[in-house]
Amino acid sequence: MAARKGLRRLTRVAREISLNLIGVLVVGALVFPVYWAVCVALQSDPTPLITAPRLIPLHLVFSNVSQAFDAETSNILTSLIVSCSAVVVGIAVGLPAAYALKRFRLRYTAVVIGVLLVTQMVPSISLSIAFYSLFKDVHLLNSYVGLILADSTYAVPLMVLLLRAFLESMPSELLEAARLDGCSEVRCMISVVTPVAVPGIMTAALFGFLGAWGDFLFGLTLNSGSSVQPVTLGLYKFVTVYNNSWGPIMATVVLAAIPAAVILSIGQRWIRSGLRAGALQ
Amino acid sequence: MRMRNTADPGPVAAVVTESAGLEQPVLAGADARAGVGGEPPAGAKRWPRARRILIPALFIAPVLVYALVFFAYPLVFGIIMSFQRFDFAAVVHGSGPFVGFANYRAVLSNSVTLLALRNTVVFTVVSVVCQVGIGLAVALLLNRKFFLSGFLRRLVLVPWLIPLLATGTIFSLLFGTQNAPINSLLLHVHLISAPVSWLIQGNTAITAIILVNIWAGLPFNIIVLYSGLQDIDPALHEAAMVDGANPLQKLRYITLPLLRPVLMIVIMLGIIATVKVFDIVWVMTAGGPNNATQLLSSWAYTQAFTNFNFGQGAAISDLLLVISFALALIYLRSLRKQGR
Repeated sequence: MAARKGLRRLTRVAREISLNLIGVLVVGALVFPVYWAVCVALQSDPTPLITAPRLIPLHLVFSNVSQAFDAETSNILTSLIVSCSAVVVGIAVGLPAAYALKRFRLRYTAVVIGVLLVTQMVPSISLSIAFYSLFKDVHLLNSYVGLILADSTYAVPLMVLLLRAFLESMPSELLEAARLDGCSEVRCMISVVTPVAVPGIMTAALFGFLGAWGDFLFGLTLNSGSSVQPVTLGLYKFVTVYNNSWGPIMATVVLAAIPAAVILSIGQRWIRSGLRAGALQ
Repeated sequence: MRMRNTADPGPVAAVVTESAGLEQPVLAGADARAGVGGEPPAGAKRWPRARRILIPALFIAPVLVYALVFFAYPLVFGIIMSFQRFDFAAVVHGSGPFVGFANYRAVLSNSVTLLALRNTVVFTVVSVVCQVGIGLAVALLLNRKFFLSGFLRRLVLVPWLIPLLATGTIFSLLFGTQNAPINSLLLHVHLISAPVSWLIQGNTAITAIILVNIWAGLPFNIIVLYSGLQDIDPALHEAAMVDGANPLQKLRYITLPLLRPVLMIVIMLGIIATVKVFDIVWVMTAGGPNNATQLLSSWAYTQAFTNFNFGQGAAISDLLLVISFALALIYLRSLRKQGR
């Protein structure tokens, strides 16, 4: 009897160990390229054509990162301004729509949702070819406003769809009570719905921000000079010009991935709920 | 932010549960009843009818105007462009001479277009099959409870959060240089006898960009399939175990059938996202060598912005658009079917 119990315990321990081991191997393989990029960025002259970088960087060297940072400071600022503004556009356009879809039982709700779902599937290349010509007419090429508007095409549909899904669970009585108290629709949206919707807004803002931050095609097509250059475009130009100085290139990659790192450490739950809502609606 | 988040997990959890149940009403139009719910507000006494229509319209108007200006108009304009000789002079001018179907004829008789179409299909099918397959395997693994499972679930998101262009850059180094880890690993296990210049030869280059795209898409698949697995009632597995089902039978007869809706969604979203991939291929190969990795997106870009032939670029991107919309339609229909 005792022997059998011991055996069962042993298999449980063995299973636990092997699951952890397999998990670490699988996920490790998945994350390895990013880890490797960080290693290349943090070592001195890891010109991979000559020497392979060490996988455990013993002597951390920050010259690559500081060089990349010097080169990319203005691009990072541009990306920050553009991505945040695109999110603001998303909130400004999306919040009233999500509010209306919640507050009024409209006949055309299904149409609005369907249209917004379809807009998410439009290839950026189709938009950017048309945007190029249209923006040229109204002098929006090489401008912040132009890039912000183009990048907001990620944020706006997302904001409406995610917020609508989010507000669906909010009790309607809350709204009706506020209306009976003589709250105007706009007040009601700002001071009753918005505070409740903050987590939903955060989720959508996060995804909209990531979409705009990671955008490359609009940045590439709508800017001929370097006056408005997001960090992705800066990275691309760096790669095409200095295609062998991998240390600084990987340092630039690391800089371009900083928002990801920040979000990963503080925004986990928003990502997950957003992924689910986005995928399952 | 973090404080608020931990103090107030309610609404987020609500979104999660809500969104799972959301499949039905969104498109089935179950809540598309006419008129306004609730009591008319105090101020609605004058012109109640006008207000009832006008106020919702004012809230919806921005997003409708936005969709018209930033989606409908550019798409229509793109279609018009594809029927014009739209060179650089036409860009300056705002429109070019009408040429009928000449752009489409030129595009379709160009062998590169057919190659790009074939590549796009291969790229999409292989990517999505592998993403969903590997994604499901990893999701099943992470669905087991073990010491590190929570931490690993967190880590899995990393490849998905970095910009696709950064992904492409990392892998141009991993594939593009002779003694980078991929070659040394393959040499080490004797799969190759000499370092391969992956991005220089056509067939290895397309293999490389497909592998990179699979890598980039895995996190999304893993996490969504993982939440699908979490929704399956564990009592079903226990019941199957009591009945003496082995793990494979449980997967075949319980997990997969119950996961089917989520699997369908992941597959459809995967296809829709993959047909329009541009960044990865552009930074890794720019469609080369000799168009071997040309996709419809990169080919449209090349025609429009490298050759300044916007008419043909628009024609190619319209082909891509038609493919995307056809897929979108299938997706919306399957959602509606699931709702019933």
